[in-house]
Amino acid sequence: MPTAVLDRSAERTAVDSTAMSDTQPSPELRQLFEDQALTFMDQLYAAALRMTRNPADAGDLVQETYVKAYAAFKSFEQGTNLKAWLYRILTNTFINSYRKNQRSPYQGTIDELEDWQLGGAESLTQGRTTRSAEAEAIDHLPDSDVKAALQSIPEDFRLAVYLADVEGFSYQEIADIMKTPVGTVMSRLHRGRRLLRDLLADYARERGITVPAPTTRSAK
Amino acid sequence: MTDCGCDKAKAELEEYLHRELSQQDFQDITDHLENCEDCTGEHLVGITLTLKMQKACQEKAPEELRAAILSRLSQPAG
Repeated sequence: MPTAVLDRSAERTAVDSTAMSDTQPSPELRQLFEDQALTFMDQLYAAALRMTRNPADAGDLVQETYVKAYAAFKSFEQGTNLKAWLYRILTNTFINSYRKNQRSPYQGTIDELEDWQLGGAESLTQGRTTRSAEAEAIDHLPDSDVKAALQSIPEDFRLAVYLADVEGFSYQEIADIMKTPVGTVMSRLHRGRRLLRDLLADYARERGITVPAPTTRSAK
Repeated sequence: MTDCGCDKAKAELEEYLHRELSQQDFQDITDHLENCEDCTGEHLVGITLTLKMQKACQEKAPEELRAAILSRLSQPAG
């Protein structure tokens, strides 16, 4: 849940804080919410699709997120980052309502796995030509391959990568959203991107696009 | 002008890409990239990956969802 902050607006200080969840926000607040928060609907929906991996659950998740955000909107401090605030609610809602039942033991220990267990390996000896070919191959893949690759990496990695690369959140903002230290965010990003890169190289090869195999890639 | 070398550059390229470095480190790596084809290639792969993801994840919320949310907001909370 978002941390409650003191409402500094003089007009609203009279509102009893305990009434927050059981009274309707004023028409002005409703309008403000529509103007400010609903503009993020497409982005939240795309993020929800990455989390739930299906449109029906993604729609439900976004809906639930907005209902919670609306109920708590009085405690949102105007001038602070509304997008990050909404993403915190989205992520919390996802973890509490959707992930609870499907979380596998694997997910819980994913951060402790060594790189070799994840099948990726740094390929520091690749030459420039190889890398240009890799970039070009990635660039030629259809969007569906990119989404499939994102879907197939572990959830915590996927979220970190999505929040950083697609949404452009800072590492600190991602740490706040995922409730994890910045060092963990960096590790998840690094490993997630490594896995994606290897998967996309595999997809490219399957499509007949030439991608030289990284020289230090672990054999599987 | 400083050149931080490949080890530092490769270790920090991801932070470079995400603009998470101090001004000095950012400059060091920018300088290094100007002279190192290998690291430039590595950076290009990183940028391509990011841009590709941004382009692939552009779904729009269905109109029904917008309508459903507006209707939920009008209901009494609780």
